[in-house]
Amino acid sequence: MKTTDELIHSYLSDLKAALRGADKATIQDALADAEEHLRTALENEVAGNEGGADGEILQNIIAEYGEPEEIAQAYRSWEAALPPALADTPAARRADSAKKSYPGFFGVFADPRAWGGLVYMLISIITGTLYFSWAVTGLATSLGVMVLIIGIPVTIIFLLSFRGIAFLEGRLVESLLGERMPRRASFTDSSLPWKERLKALLLGKATWLSWIYMILMLPLGVIYFSFMVTFLALGLGLALTPVGTIVVLAMGIPLGVVQSGNYIWSLSDPGAVLLSLLFCGLGIFITTGCMHLARWVGKVHGKFAKALLVSD
Amino acid sequence: MIDIMETHKKFQKELSAGTVSLALLSILVQSEAPLYGYQIGKLVGAGDEEGVMVKQGAIYPVLRSLESQGLLASERELSDSGPPRRYYHATEAGGEALAAWTAIWEETKTFVDNVLGGDYQ
Repeated sequence: MKTTDELIHSYLSDLKAALRGADKATIQDALADAEEHLRTALENEVAGNEGGADGEILQNIIAEYGEPEEIAQAYRSWEAALPPALADTPAARRADSAKKSYPGFFGVFADPRAWGGLVYMLISIITGTLYFSWAVTGLATSLGVMVLIIGIPVTIIFLLSFRGIAFLEGRLVESLLGERMPRRASFTDSSLPWKERLKALLLGKATWLSWIYMILMLPLGVIYFSFMVTFLALGLGLALTPVGTIVVLAMGIPLGVVQSGNYIWSLSDPGAVLLSLLFCGLGIFITTGCMHLARWVGKVHGKFAKALLVSD
Repeated sequence: MIDIMETHKKFQKELSAGTVSLALLSILVQSEAPLYGYQIGKLVGAGDEEGVMVKQGAIYPVLRSLESQGLLASERELSDSGPPRRYYHATEAGGEALAAWTAIWEETKTFVDNVLGGDYQ
C-alpha cells in the first residue's frame, strides 16, 4: 500500500506526463492546483471521517478529481481559449496569428507588444540594478554568516526571496512582453520534513537559475536602456529637424553658413527646408526601427526569462 | 458502441463548457465568504448528484479563466496545516456578468425545452 504522499506524487507525475508539450507555465499551474486540491481534500475528509484508511480516502478524492488525461485535456482547452495578458480576446489573438504575426512597418506603433517591450527595456535598468544588488548581497551575506548559528535562517530567507522575485519578474514579463508565465508561485511540498525542503531550496535548479537571471539582468538592463535611450533620442531629434529649421529661418538667421577663407557659402532657404525634411525622414525611420527592435527584444527576452525562471 | 459513447462524451463536454462557468460564477456570487477550490468543488458536487457534469479537477482551469476575465479575484492564503489555499471571490463585474448570463441561460433553456417538447409547431 502506498503512502498518501506517494499517491499524490504519482498522480502529479501522471498529470505532468499527460500535459507534456503544453506550455510550461500551464503545467506548473495545473500541478499547483492539483496538489492544493488533493492535500486540502485529504485533510478535510480525514478530519471528518474517522473510519477508513487515509489511502482509500485519497483514492476516492483522486477519482473525483479526474483522470490525469481528462484534467490535462481540460487545462489544454481552457488554456487555448485563455489569452496571455496583452491580447484582448481569444478571437482577436487567433485572427492575429492566422492573418500575419508581424505588423507592417508603421503598424508597430499600434502593437501593444512593441510598447510593452519599450517600457520593459526602459525600466530594466532599475529592475536589473535592484535584482543584481539583491542577488549579490544575498549570496555574500549568506556565505559570510554561514559559520554562525544565524547563518541558516539568513540563507533560507535570501534563497526564498530569489524565488519570490523570480515569480514577480515573471508577472512583469507576462504583462509587458506577453510571454505566458506562471500565475501561481511554485508549490513546495509542506508534508516533507524541513531538511528535505531545505535541500530542495538549496540545491534546486530553480533557485540558482533565478539567481543567474537576477545577475544577468544588470548587464542586460544597462544594454537595453542605453541602446533604447540613445536611438530614441537620435530618432526623435532628427524627426523634429524641420520644426527647428522653420523656427530658425523665421527668425531670419541664415542656415548652413560655411566660411572658408574669403569664400562664404550659405544654403538657400528652400534648400535648408529640403535638407531638414530628409533628416526628418531618417529620424522617423530610426524611431520606427526602435519600436521594431523593442518588439523583437521583448519577444526574445520573454523566451529567455521563461527558460531561466520557469523550471520543468 | 464505443463510438456512440465518444459522441455522448463529446456532446457532454461541449455542453458543459459554458454551464460550468455559469455554475461556478453563481456559487461565488452567492457565497458571502471567499471560497477555495476544494469548497467550491464540494458545492458543485452537491448540485451535480450524478457526478457527471464536471470533475473536481476540471473546475480549476475554469476558475482561472473567469479570473482572467476579471469576473473573479483571488488571494493565496496560508493555512494552519497543509498547503496554502487560493481563495476566490466574485468581483462587481462578476455579479453583473452573472445577471446577464442567467438571462441568456433562461432563454437557452426555454428555446431548447420548446424545441424538444415540440411546442414550436
